Amino acid sequence: MSSVIGKSAVVRGKVRGDGDLEVQGHVEGEITVSGDVTVEAGGLVGAAVNGRRIVVRGAVRGDLVASEAIELGNGARVVGDVRAPRIAITEGALVRGHVQTQGAGASSTPRAAATSRAAATPVKATPAPVRAATPARAPAPAARPVPAPAPSTRKVEAKPAAGRGSVLAGARPAAPPPMVVPVLKKGTKVTKKR
Amino acid sequence: MASTIIGSGITIEGDIASDEDVVVSGTVRGKLSAREGVVVEQGGVVEADIQGGATSVAGSVTGNIHSTDRVDLQGGAKVVGNVKATRITIADGAQFKGNVDMDV
Repeated sequence: MSSVIGKSAVVRGKVRGDGDLEVQGHVEGEITVSGDVTVEAGGLVGAAVNGRRIVVRGAVRGDLVASEAIELGNGARVVGDVRAPRIAITEGALVRGHVQTQGAGASSTPRAAATSRAAATPVKATPAPVRAATPARAPAPAARPVPAPAPSTRKVEAKPAAGRGSVLAGARPAAPPPMVVPVLKKGTKVTKKR
Repeated sequence: MASTIIGSGITIEGDIASDEDVVVSGTVRGKLSAREGVVVEQGGVVEADIQGGATSVAGSVTGNIHSTDRVDLQGGAKVVGNVKATRITIADGAQFKGNVDMDV
């Protein structure tokens, strides 16, 4: 039997056990269940959530850790780290925290991890503007067009790289790198953000 | 149609407050208050004071029950604690230990 924390309900304390849980109301304590956790639109969880699959359409202030997958739907607001073998972040979801696929117990195929990581990257870019107190939704589209101006950014980054060591400079003349550019760019971007 | 359901296998340690119905098939430790009905189903365990509207118990309750409406202890229910309500029924087979206050 699945459990529901109703719209008008407020729980101050831990929720744990077996089975699925649906949160439409307000939970102030940690949630640890063996089944799926769904935080519906209007639902709010003020602490960490642990489960097999976690679907968020409401708000969570705390870390999300799932053994299978995490889905942040449209309207989701998450402040905390997100960790699961597979993570989906839908457009319209707001995340502020560290996002990490893998490492949540179950192993995942590299491909799955790569795809979800690719999906996560644009959102990862959002937190920085969010910290600057700008509305969250505006930066998201701004982050996506980035692939177009990529070449220029790469050039800018390439110069300091050449300055770092002559070894790199020697390797640089190899023209082919453009093929690798998208990956390189993302990598460098991420490190920069961190 | 209950809005809040604590399923079997789920344990809540802490307070629950709801404006709507609450059904407990799992375990609740702490405090349970609802403006509407409270149902403790068979197999449900409440180790907490219950404050609510019409309250029906078929499971186990350790704590005081304070209802603004009625309290029904059904066969198989096990209640240890005081019960305060305007109307109370105790079905045959229900175990009950505590005071009854019918607010006369």
